[in-house]
Amino acid sequence: MTFAMLRRGIVYVLLSLAAFVSVFPFYWMVVGATNTSAEIIKGKTSLGSALITNATAFFTQVDALRIFWNSGVIAVVATALTLLVSSLAGYGFEMFRSRLREKLFGFLLLLLSIPFAAMMVPLFVMFSQAKLVNTFTAVILPTIASIFIIFYFRQATKAFPRELRDAAKIDGLKEWQIFLYVYLPVMRSTYAAATIIVFMANWNNYLWPLVVLQTAENKTITLILSGLTAAYTPDYGLILFGTVLATLPTLIIFFLLQRRFVEGMLGAVK
Amino acid sequence: MSSLKLTDVHKSYGKLEVIKGVDLEIQSKEFVVFVGPSGCGKSTLLRMIAGLEHITSGDLEIGGVRMNDVDPSKRGIAMVFQSYALYPHMTVRENMGFALRFAGVAKDQIAKQVNEAARILALEPLLDRLPKELSGGQRQRVAIGRAIVRNPQVFLFDEPLSNLDAELRVHMRIEIARLHKELQTTIIYVTHDQVEAMTLADTIVVLRDGIIEQVGKPLDLYDNPANLFVAGFIGSPKMNFMAGVVTASGHGGVTVELTNQGKAHVVLPLSGPAPAVGAAVTVGVRPEHFGLAGSGGPEITVAIDVAEHLGSTSYIYANTKSGEQIIIEREESRHELGHESITVAIDPAKTFLFSAAGERLR
Repeated sequence: MTFAMLRRGIVYVLLSLAAFVSVFPFYWMVVGATNTSAEIIKGKTSLGSALITNATAFFTQVDALRIFWNSGVIAVVATALTLLVSSLAGYGFEMFRSRLREKLFGFLLLLLSIPFAAMMVPLFVMFSQAKLVNTFTAVILPTIASIFIIFYFRQATKAFPRELRDAAKIDGLKEWQIFLYVYLPVMRSTYAAATIIVFMANWNNYLWPLVVLQTAENKTITLILSGLTAAYTPDYGLILFGTVLATLPTLIIFFLLQRRFVEGMLGAVK
Repeated sequence: MSSLKLTDVHKSYGKLEVIKGVDLEIQSKEFVVFVGPSGCGKSTLLRMIAGLEHITSGDLEIGGVRMNDVDPSKRGIAMVFQSYALYPHMTVRENMGFALRFAGVAKDQIAKQVNEAARILALEPLLDRLPKELSGGQRQRVAIGRAIVRNPQVFLFDEPLSNLDAELRVHMRIEIARLHKELQTTIIYVTHDQVEAMTLADTIVVLRDGIIEQVGKPLDLYDNPANLFVAGFIGSPKMNFMAGVVTASGHGGVTVELTNQGKAHVVLPLSGPAPAVGAAVTVGVRPEHFGLAGSGGPEITVAIDVAEHLGSTSYIYANTKSGEQIIIEREESRHELGHESITVAIDPAKTFLFSAAGERLR
């Protein structure tokens, strides 16, 4: 009885600690957006009155509409293409038998171990030769064949009932129609979960856009925010206000797809 | 409504041959059941007919037309799957009309055909539900409905009742039999359940290891199995097999000594060539064919292991001294079965004889 209570107590303390560590940065970010830079440096963790000042400063210094548009276009197009290309690949890897299948898939997984930094220079040279530097195409193209998402879809496809594909074949559907009219709607939870993951990765993408996007009018929100910290005396209130704004789209998408996200992560095909 | 013909059909996956030369003719309107143990190739054969598996060699004809390379949707077949395979995101109505939609049939014609199939299967109240809102039996009816809507020449059923509970299975079995009567189509039905095979089929095809062991009417297979495998597979509980040795052989019959049954001798009539003296044979007796002690014929006495009383009948599981298990069916009062041992008579007229290779000796 006492031992069980003690154990439960310890578990609760540890969980509370973990929750605090996860939630505090968000709390601090939101609170910071309402405080002046000086207050933030002093470590103030309660709501302040500088929200309007920070917002005004942010919107005067930054062409917010433009950079949100840039980030939005890149994230939405990249997410749509990644889901299409990588889910097709995952579907194909699971549905079609071939002697080379497992070898090829193993090779793909091996590629995951190559850090992006190692590919950055060759990629830049390639895009430079193709005259695509400083375009959104250059930001989006390297992300759409995501090995992780291919792997994720292949695993999820294992739960897709094969007899549905057989039934659809007998009903007269071609392979692409089976994918579009049967697989896609049945796997919508998987797509929802992948949407959140891929959107977040693209929205937050920093290193590659930093290298490949060169003019101010093409920059994304992550590049602008990081640029603000590079000032001689960074205005932390302004930066945190921008960070709050930058977090909103991912947050909205997460809440919109929350239920399906959980189903998708659990691998539910219903 | 169409006939179907398989000529020397083979199927291999790489070096593994799973269908090893099947010849079969199925008449129009016939109800044919493929039966056999797991892995015998019955589902593969059905999927080859459906066009879901490529035919490695040999010919498939439906209605006199070679269909080997024809798209599944153009073979004039419809298939009902074990897992029902209903599209989970579509209502019953959409599921049933899906194939027609893709075939470019007009909307009002689709509605008409769906409604007609729904009427036949009493699915009208369920038409706007999703599959997840249906019970197992209802789902299976929808799957059958989806097949009916396509108005196929041949219906293919792949173990359609395996996922249902016992009571529902009996109910659906009767429904499928009724459906066959009403639609008058050719049906090929795969099952490992020999009760389904016996009750539904006009013709049973027994398969083992990718070859056909025997084709025939259900009772013919029961009364006249071609070999040891069919004899053991058709009938429940299964036929008893007792090891024996031929002690005398002549025109018109042999005498077999049952090695493990107290050396009882059975004299069996044979019209064909008789095995030589000393040849090892197997004697088969169905559980219901053992006679009462004193009813004539050689008698064996066995120790009762377990008795199952089903009310109308009882199954006695008995062991001989050498460990051979014998199942005996008795219809007399269960109170008479309390003894530790039982003596039964073997009726030579209802006894089967098989060679060491498993072939029936007649």
